[in-house]
Amino acid sequence: MRIDYAIRHPIALDAAFDVEGFTVLLGASGEGKTLLLRAIAGLLPARGEPFGGLPPQDRAVGYLPQGYALFPHLLAWENVAFALRGKRRREQAMALLERVHLAHLADRYPATLSGGQQQRVALARALARKPGLLLLDDPTSALDASTRDDVLAELIAEVHEFGVPTLAVSHDPHLAALADQLVLLHERRIVQQGAPDAVQAHPASGAAARLLGHRNVFHGRIEARPGAPVLHWQAAGLQLDLRADIALPAHADVEWTVAPEAIRLTDTDTGPNRFAAWPEVRHVQAHRVELCLRRGAARLWTQVPPGPVRDGPLTLEIPAQAIRLWSGLSG
Amino acid sequence: MTQGTIPRPHSRAPAVVGGIALLLLAAPFLGLVLATHWRHFGFAAGDGSAVAVSLGYSLLALVLIIALGTPLAWWLARRKPRGKWLIEGLLLLALLTPPLAMGLLLASMFGPYGPAGSLLERAGVLLTNSAPAFVLAQFYSALPYYVIAARAAFEGVPRDLEQLSLTLGLSPWRTFVRVSLPLARLGLAAGIALAWVRALGEFGVVLIIAYFPQGIPVKLWVNLQDIGLQAVYPLLWVFFLVAMPLPLIVGLAARRKRIF
Repeated sequence: MRIDYAIRHPIALDAAFDVEGFTVLLGASGEGKTLLLRAIAGLLPARGEPFGGLPPQDRAVGYLPQGYALFPHLLAWENVAFALRGKRRREQAMALLERVHLAHLADRYPATLSGGQQQRVALARALARKPGLLLLDDPTSALDASTRDDVLAELIAEVHEFGVPTLAVSHDPHLAALADQLVLLHERRIVQQGAPDAVQAHPASGAAARLLGHRNVFHGRIEARPGAPVLHWQAAGLQLDLRADIALPAHADVEWTVAPEAIRLTDTDTGPNRFAAWPEVRHVQAHRVELCLRRGAARLWTQVPPGPVRDGPLTLEIPAQAIRLWSGLSG
Repeated sequence: MTQGTIPRPHSRAPAVVGGIALLLLAAPFLGLVLATHWRHFGFAAGDGSAVAVSLGYSLLALVLIIALGTPLAWWLARRKPRGKWLIEGLLLLALLTPPLAMGLLLASMFGPYGPAGSLLERAGVLLTNSAPAFVLAQFYSALPYYVIAARAAFEGVPRDLEQLSLTLGLSPWRTFVRVSLPLARLGLAAGIALAWVRALGEFGVVLIIAYFPQGIPVKLWVNLQDIGLQAVYPLLWVFFLVAMPLPLIVGLAARRKRIF
């Protein structure tokens, strides 16, 4: 489904992209993601397609706002049956609750349900009116970190099962990793869209990489040297060698990145692209340990083997072939 | 090892002060119990019809207040019209005006020589010493209280819930009935109770424009003047008896079951 909306107030935002399956629109806070969903739902004046010009009650959308906005005075099944009419309301609502595995909680008030359960009740309620498009506002925001992955997996499985195209907006790279289709919003414009593996592998800019949660995205400047160009990394006060085939003009401002796992720990600082940096924080996860190091004003992440880190500066090497450049500054 | 004292979770001060306030509140009614001649408990002539007049017309006034006041309160809670301060001022003015003065103002507008009154009289509606005048007096004295309480009640209804109802395909009217009204019901019930009590107990406005038909407050005054204190108390007991149930029932019904 093609979405093409233009908002002028309270902020100017233009967004045109395709929604297929579970699509995630990733953008930083304040980019207008919620406003875009509200515009599509008809709750905010905007021009666009689909549903352009229709009042909210005539738009076939299912809208799940942040916090889900369940009706506190209605039981779970009454919430689901809210959009239904006729004698079989309860039966239909129960069938929907069954599909989101919550039939046993039908007679509970929303305040007594967990965040994930409320989300599924809200999903069932939105699906009851048979929407052509499902809108989810930051579906990870009200979830506990410990159950988030399971709740999201469940949500996405249900969305797929119901077969309704879904647009979820979020600033959470974690959610982006679960998408069928990924759209990146930066400075109130769509800067990239595509399948998540393609987008993750080739972010269109430094800003896109930051949105995707990539670490080690820096500003730099290309300097001409005989032989091969070098990258001047101002924040760290370093000059890094680049691959000889880099085709960027000298004195160009660039953004660049290096994957944490591509950075090597070495014993000596003799050799190209080797330098000392001071460990700041150790980030221990189940299957890997990341180390945050400081060099000048720059903060650099690298992967290290499990175990204690020795005191004092470490020597690192950034291999020239691991450096990825984007011309221009994206903010 | 010394054993420390466990601090009490609640201070007793609110309970003590609250108790004093309750005692003060109860004092006049205790006086009524003591002052009533229970052995010679009897009604003055016309007390029965005063009860009927008060109950019937107050109910009518209440229906009018709810019918006209609810849309106004919702509009004030949801829209931000230009010149809103004027509307605020008008509501406050209606609240502030002493009842006797309000009676005089109504007489000057709706009385036989007033601009609206003379027009209405030609149409056959007499707004002095008549049933419509009685209802009019009660309407004016109670409407602002209801509107202010109902507006606060509607302002407490989260807008996103109303908007969500629209996205679920319900019309604005059905959204009002199924979301705004139920979520505002506690405040609305308070507003209805307040309006009922104001309308039923109204004396000053009624005295000026609707001395007849006589409702309970005016009849209490008449009994005092014509017979004496002992003719006031029985009617007062009946007043409490008939005035209490409606606000009690409305309040309890709004609180019943749906606890969230």
